[in-house]
Amino acid sequence: MSFVEQINQGLSWLDLRVDIIWDYRDLFIRGIYYTIILSMSGVGIGLVLGLFAGMAKLARSLWIRWPAIAYIEFFRGTPLFVQIMLLHFAVLPTLLGRSPSPVISGIIALALNSGAYISEIFRAGIQSIARGQMEAARSLGLSHGMAMRYIILPQAFRRMIPPLGNELIVVLKDSSLLSAIAAPELANAARITMGATSRPWEPYMTIAVIYLVITLILASLVSRLERKLDYGRHSRS
Amino acid sequence: MVDTAAVNRTDVYTDTSTSTSGKMAKTEPLISVRSVHKFFGTHEVLKGIDLEVYPQEVLVIIGPSGSGKSTLLRCLNLLETYQKGEIIVDGKRLSDPKIQEDEVRRELGMVFQQFNLFPHMTVLENLILAPIKVRKKSREEAIKDARLLLQKVGLSDKEGAYPDALSGGQQQRVAIARALAMRPKAMLFDEPTSALDPEMVKEVLDVMKDLAREGMTMVVVTHEMGFAREVGDRVIFMDQGEIVEQGTPQDVFGQPKNERTKAFLSKVL
Ligand SMILES: Nc1ncnc2c1ncn2[C@@H]1O[C@H](COP(=O)(O)OP(=O)(O)OP(=O)(O)O)[C@@H](O)[C@H]1O
Ligand SMILES: [Mg+2]
Repeated sequence: MSFVEQINQGLSWLDLRVDIIWDYRDLFIRGIYYTIILSMSGVGIGLVLGLFAGMAKLARSLWIRWPAIAYIEFFRGTPLFVQIMLLHFAVLPTLLGRSPSPVISGIIALALNSGAYISEIFRAGIQSIARGQMEAARSLGLSHGMAMRYIILPQAFRRMIPPLGNELIVVLKDSSLLSAIAAPELANAARITMGATSRPWEPYMTIAVIYLVITLILASLVSRLERKLDYGRHSRS
Repeated sequence: MVDTAAVNRTDVYTDTSTSTSGKMAKTEPLISVRSVHKFFGTHEVLKGIDLEVYPQEVLVIIGPSGSGKSTLLRCLNLLETYQKGEIIVDGKRLSDPKIQEDEVRRELGMVFQQFNLFPHMTVLENLILAPIKVRKKSREEAIKDARLLLQKVGLSDKEGAYPDALSGGQQQRVAIARALAMRPKAMLFDEPTSALDPEMVKEVLDVMKDLAREGMTMVVVTHEMGFAREVGDRVIFMDQGEIVEQGTPQDVFGQPKNERTKAFLSKVL
């Protein structure tokens, strides 16, 4: 084979065939839908888990703090891929007595994983609110819970929006790992398409662009929300 | 252990007793502190403090930095715990393990050096939160009350503003109004003007003077000796965790007896 022929062959790789994606469009559309559903529900449940785990980690009692720390360290210290496998093939089948649906396993895995990261976001957010705020609230006779609810958390939340938005984007990208358990999301669509057509470029470039578009939209939504919640900072600081 | 100044106060206020329990013929102190010791680790910050605050009295606490003034004040509303002795506020023993902290605190308004307004709430919201949530007032009633207080501190036009849009002096006046909105039995001030630019000190002190004139019971930690002299009924000088000297402002500022008091006053006056 001549040098020129080799180059030709190499370039023919880039001879992208859009019709392949068109043929499999239903798979990709379903993939977009499930990628969004899986990551949104994962982070949604992760927010609740993270709030409780984050507050538990700040608790005085060791009996409350310790389980929270164990949970957080486990899910931050092991690969998400391993967590997905463990949950889908070992933990959930044992608990349920049957194979769980990949979507359910996927949501649970993403929720547990993001909950651990979100708890650290909560903890940092709560701790970043000056101690004086808690003292002022308590000196007015508000209980610890009321002070948290009306004074600390609303302020902490505002500071947590950028890192929470970041976490949502991370989860959205990481949801691609769920293709390993055949959850019907984007990476799974690409995997199936490549298997059926033996063409890797088209499906993976397609989902790369889709992921990019979704994350860019999310990032701009987050920064808009952040600006909207910025109270009274315009006149003085 | 009752000092002479306190006895005098008792005499003065004998007939103004408004005790709810009705069992007292004489006015009892609203706050009593009995040989209180406070440690941070092994560091003894309060070394046996005895002190009484009578209704409608303005007690001013002065002393060098680190002498334990803030710590004493914070012990009064349970922002700090103490290890020995006893503090009784409005008849409640603070060392009682069954003490309802929030019930003690709601009777004592506290004003901090750093204002500590809630930055995510407007001025009005800062004022009505605790009356609604803790005193269970209706929103309308709380707002009505808050507006009266804002008028009193001269900030009626700022009810919709966020704290960050206010000057330091304005923020501190809001903080005073916020504490007053709980209708406390006494007010605690921890260096309320120390974080202010000099030109704003007066507006805050004026509000405090008005309060004193109306008969509010006040414990004021301050470096404003003019205020102490003019408004204080009694002045306490603290140094290294002890009450070194106390008496009327005339006595403490005019003829201090203790060498440490003299040394401190010669520096600040
Ligand atoms: N949370 C704390 N942990 C350890 N030590 C503390 C703490 N708070 C105060 N102290 C120490 O207790 C002592 C008394 O402090 P305190 O703040 O009561 O003094 P102060 O009289 O209010 O001084 P200042 O005029 O500077 O406000 C100081 O030596 C201080 O370092
Ligand atoms: Mg102090």
